[in-house]
Parts: sequence; structure tokens; C-alpha cells
Amino acid sequence: MRRIWTIARHEYLVNVRRPTFLLLTAAVPVLGVIGLIVAAFYAGQVGNFFEKQFSGEPEHVGVVDQSGLFTPILADYRAQFYSYPDEGQARQALLAEKVSLYLLIPGDYLATGKVQVVTQGSGFGAATASESTNLRRFLVAHLLANKVEPAIRARAVAPLDAIPVVLGSEGKSTGETSSAFFFRFVVPYLLAVLLVITIFVSSGFLLQSVSEEKESRVIEIVLSSVTATQLLAGKVLGLGALGLTQILVWTVSSLALGGGAASLLSLGDLTFIEPSILLLAIVYYILGFTLYAVLMGSVGALGTTMRESQQLAGLFSFGAAVPYMLSGFLFTNPNALLARILSFFPLTAPTMMMLRLPLAEVPTVDIIGSLVVLVASIPVVLWAGAKVFRLGLLMYGQRPTLVQIWHTLQRGV
Amino acid sequence: MKKKSGELHVAGVCKSYDGVDAVSELDFRVYRGEVFGLLGPNGAGKTTTIRMIMDIIKPDAGEIVVLGDAPGVARDRVGYLPEERGLYRNLPVLDTLVYLAELKGQPRATARRRANALLAEVELADWAHRPVKALSRGMQQKVQLIASLVHDPALLILDEPFQGLDPLNVELVKSLIRKLQDEGKTIVLSTHQMNLVEALCDRILLIHRGRAVLYGPLREIKEQYAPGRVRLRTSGEIDSLPGVQKIERDGNSYELTLKEGAPAQAVLQAIVERGLPVELFAVASAPLEEIFITAVEGEHHA
Repeated sequence: MRRIWTIARHEYLVNVRRPTFLLLTAAVPVLGVIGLIVAAFYAGQVGNFFEKQFSGEPEHVGVVDQSGLFTPILADYRAQFYSYPDEGQARQALLAEKVSLYLLIPGDYLATGKVQVVTQGSGFGAATASESTNLRRFLVAHLLANKVEPAIRARAVAPLDAIPVVLGSEGKSTGETSSAFFFRFVVPYLLAVLLVITIFVSSGFLLQSVSEEKESRVIEIVLSSVTATQLLAGKVLGLGALGLTQILVWTVSSLALGGGAASLLSLGDLTFIEPSILLLAIVYYILGFTLYAVLMGSVGALGTTMRESQQLAGLFSFGAAVPYMLSGFLFTNPNALLARILSFFPLTAPTMMMLRLPLAEVPTVDIIGSLVVLVASIPVVLWAGAKVFRLGLLMYGQRPTLVQIWHTLQRGV
Repeated sequence: MKKKSGELHVAGVCKSYDGVDAVSELDFRVYRGEVFGLLGPNGAGKTTTIRMIMDIIKPDAGEIVVLGDAPGVARDRVGYLPEERGLYRNLPVLDTLVYLAELKGQPRATARRRANALLAEVELADWAHRPVKALSRGMQQKVQLIASLVHDPALLILDEPFQGLDPLNVELVKSLIRKLQDEGKTIVLSTHQMNLVEALCDRILLIHRGRAVLYGPLREIKEQYAPGRVRLRTSGEIDSLPGVQKIERDGNSYELTLKEGAPAQAVLQAIVERGLPVELFAVASAPLEEIFITAVEGEHHA
């Protein structure tokens, strides 16, 4: 165990100083800080600017009412809507950019429902006016003014404020709001994304470390001191710790920056994850990482050069990415048969389960089954990996054939 | 399993790759405190044998006992300089040595102290904190040699330790090997440089195609290959001597061919009894290089 620790420590210390690692690790916080500075500098202006660009709602609206149904403008709407006695004045206001559009409501509006929407240049399009919630509300509110009870008028104006309720398996409400539902999915989803990123980053380091030791021939000295299993385990631990360091830096800086951003933008408390799902996601993360790291280490020993090893490793990395390719399909049916099958396959199980867990109530058998498959496959992969690792490491300048790998595993030597 | 007589005992060891025998029925022993030469042409099975001793690969059959234990158990007390060797190019020399010693179970402080002492001994103390890639090839060779010594092993296996060294450094390494032998360490030396084997080794094993061809004390093997020949230089006249079959003369130098089984000692005694002045009396032996070629070619024709 002490040897494994020595190797892990060595791998960690050597790789943590690599310029590529430092650059990649620093990139997230640095970009975040730049973003925050920009946000702080422009503060509210930026938010307003984007809201205006993307909300699809006109800011100030002129109204030329020839039907008499919309004047005077109700108190609730006077901040946004301005009445003009004739079209000439409305046009002047538009040209002077006092309003972003004006509505010309003809005398026969009640009979036809037709309203001219006049805009200038490429601003708020007349085409999107019919989709505008504010314009609809303005029209409905004024049509019903003094004709129905205020409560009915208010409901006619805003008939639906949806509160989603998700029923658990016992038919009880989980009592969450729509934003909680959103974040309950997002955080494990991000964890799954982190897993894939860490797998790619750390496996890159693992490949590099193994290829370098093989190419520089130092491996023979190392293998005369420790067993192939100890070497592989030490590398997985050390580089796993390196990957976790990177994630920790990213997470802490994101939280710190996120907290800064939240207070800057006066957002509320951002606690949004169910502890049991978070815990399971972390368990899947650790198991998934270990499995992939062992695989990558063994594959790294097979190639004669770094590039060749990377190509071989890509075949396995693909497994972790498959569930993402299916995520569109998963959103609608997280418990579909294919999703369930992939949850029992070691290479896809970690990411598939991380994606499924927040989306729906996953059958307990899937959770236990996938965990058992993962826990059971790690020693098998470590055993087989160490054999292949040793075979690959001692073959300089040539790659073992599939037949040789098969014989090695059969002999178990 | 425990063996007292030898530091290394290889008995009936076989190893084949894809049906081709790399090593077959190999037997030999290395005794404590000796320098043992493991010789053979390229592809003879030397590296395979060494890798089995180091537990990097397992034999198909036979038994190997290293320092009284199975291979792998005693790996912390064995130093190994492989033929296929290298170092971490970007790591400082001292860090590399300390790490490799730690892998052999040495505490970091001890490893650091020994590494510094050994670096000073091979005149590399000034390079301790430089990355390995800054060193010349010869310097790297010496660092690699130190890497196999830094954990103070009882048994040392050196595969081509003189490769790439200039004559000055060859002498430096030779004296280091002699010093290690004086300290009581056992050394297995594999090299193609026969003059260095003759200078350093007590006993040798010559393997060819995975089998032992010659094995035993170097002196005895050399005598075997030049049996019954004596070189003599004297100002006296010799025409016949008891036990001598043939006398060839070249000035004051004679080459005597002894009768089969006649001891050289008796011939010397007869010369001394005749009162002849002896300037040189030497039992002739063939150079190891010649023996190597004869033995390997003999195997080819066999």
C-alpha cells in the first residue's frame, strides 16, 4: 500500500506542475472573473439590454384609438402605453424613438379584430406583435373594463400561472416549484458532464504518464520495484486526485463567482438539490472515474506512441459519452428499456444513471443493479488491466496483437 | 525454499514465447560477494532470464530463488540496471533517484542522503538539481547506475553498464563495481565487452539460444580452452622435458605442449631442478573473446 501511495504522490506532484494542467485549471476561474468584472461594470445595463433584445416585448407602445374602446388607458398600463389623438402624432413619436411601435386600432375593430402595428427599421417586428403577451393583456383588459368583475377581468388577462406538481411513486406530491425541478435536474446533469470532462482530462494525463514511462524505458526499472497492479493503482489514485483537484478548483471558483454574481444580480438562495440524488451522483462519479481510469491506464500501455494510445483510448471514452447522445430521448422517457439496459453496462452505467436519477423516479433495482455491476467490474478491469498493462509495457516499439492479449489473459500470468 | 549457499539460484527454468523457447532448462548459482558474468550473443535469452529473476515476467517452469526467497519477495534488496533503460526526462536528477529509492521502500531522508553521496562519487554532485534531459548521455548512464544502487541492495544485476561510456568513465564504473564487491555485495554483470568480464568476473555463464553453453570459474574455463600449453621464456637450452610432448622455440621463448594429463607444475619443477633461469612461466589461456566465439559457433555447428 505504501508503494501505491508513493506512486500516487509522485504522479500527482509531477502532473500538477504541467503547464497544460495549470492553464486548463486556471481557465475556468479566470474566465469567470472576467465575466463578473464585465457584469459588475455594466451592472443593470447589461441585463436590461439582453432583456430588451431577447424578450420579444416592446418597451413603449403608442396607441391611436379610432374605436374608442381603448381610451382612456387604464392606470395599470399607463407606464407602457401612450395614447395619441391621431396617427401623425404617433408617427412623430415613433420617429423620435419615444415609442418602439404604435397600434392603429380602427373603428371596426370589434367586428374584424384587425390592428395595424407600425414599427420602424428592424426593431420590434410587426410579425411578432401577435405573439406579444403584453399587447394581448392590454387589449383584453380594456375590452373587459367595467363590463365584468375585476377578478374575472384579472383572470381573463392572466388565466394561467402554472405550479408543477410531481407525484412520487406513492402518489404523494414532492412539493417542489418549477425552479427547484429545473435545478434538481441541472446539478446532477452538470456532475455527469464533469465526470466526462474529468475522464477525458485525467485519462489524457494517465496516457501521457504511461506512454512517457514506456517511451523513455524507465518503466523497466519501475517494474523491477513494484508490481504492474501497484503501478496502475498508484497512477489511477494520483491522477484521480489530480482530476478531483481540478474539479474542486472549478467548483469552488464557480460557487464563489456564482455567489458574487447572485448578490450582484440580487438573486435568491441557490440551494436546489436533493441530498440523496447528490450522494448517489457522487458515488456513481467515483465508481465511474475509477473504472475509466483503470481502462485508460491499461490502454495507454498498449500503444507504442502517445498518439496511438490516444486513438485506442478514444474507443472507450465513447462509452461515457453515449448516454449524452441519447439525452434528448431520455428527457421524454428516462425509464425506457434502452436506458435501463445501458444502466447495467459498466461503461455507460455511471453517466446514464447520473442523467436518469434527476429526471424521474428510477426503479430501485436499476440503482442497486448498476452499482453492483460497477463495483464488481472494477476488480475485474483492474486484474485484466494490470495483465495487459504489463504485456504492453514490456513490448517496446510494437503493439501486442489481440491474440497475444487474449493469451495473456488466459494464462493469467 | 530457503537457500543458504547462493544469493541467486536458478534451477530448471524454462520460458517460451509463442512456442519459441527463449530460455530452456537453465541452471546456475551466484554466490555471495562474487562478480558473476552473464554472457551470450544478442537474443540468447539474457534479458528474459534477468526479467524472470526480477519478477517482471514469470517462468513457465523451474524455480528461481533470490536472496533466499521467491522472486519479487526480495525485490527491495535487489538493484537492477536494465539494458532497455531511461529516466524521467523532465524530473531533476535528485528527485528521480529519491523516487526510485522510495519505490524500493527506502525512507525519503535516507534515499536523499545516499543519492547525494553516490552522485558525488561519480562526479555529478553539481547536477543534482538539474533536469535529467540537461545531462549528456554518459552522465545519464551514470545516474542510471546510481538509480540501481541508491537503495543499498545486497544483489545487483547490471545489464550492459558500460554501454555508451568513454574510457575514463569505464574506469570509474569499474572501480565502483570493485568497491561494491569489497563491500560484500553480489553482482551479476551482463556485457558484450569481454575484456571487462575478464577484468571483473569471478565466474561466468555463457548462454546461447536459451541454454547454458559454458558455466563455471572464469580461470578454469580459460584453461579448458587452452589445455596443456605453457609459455616459457629462458636463456637456457631446452630440448626435452618430462611430460612434454612437443617443444616449439622462437628465440628465448618456448611454447610447450604437455602430454595429456601431465601437470604444468611438474614441468616447472623439472626446469628448476635443471637449474635453468626462468624469466617467464605461464599456463597459456585463450582470450575470453575467442572462447565466446568458439563456444557459440560450436553450438551453431552442433
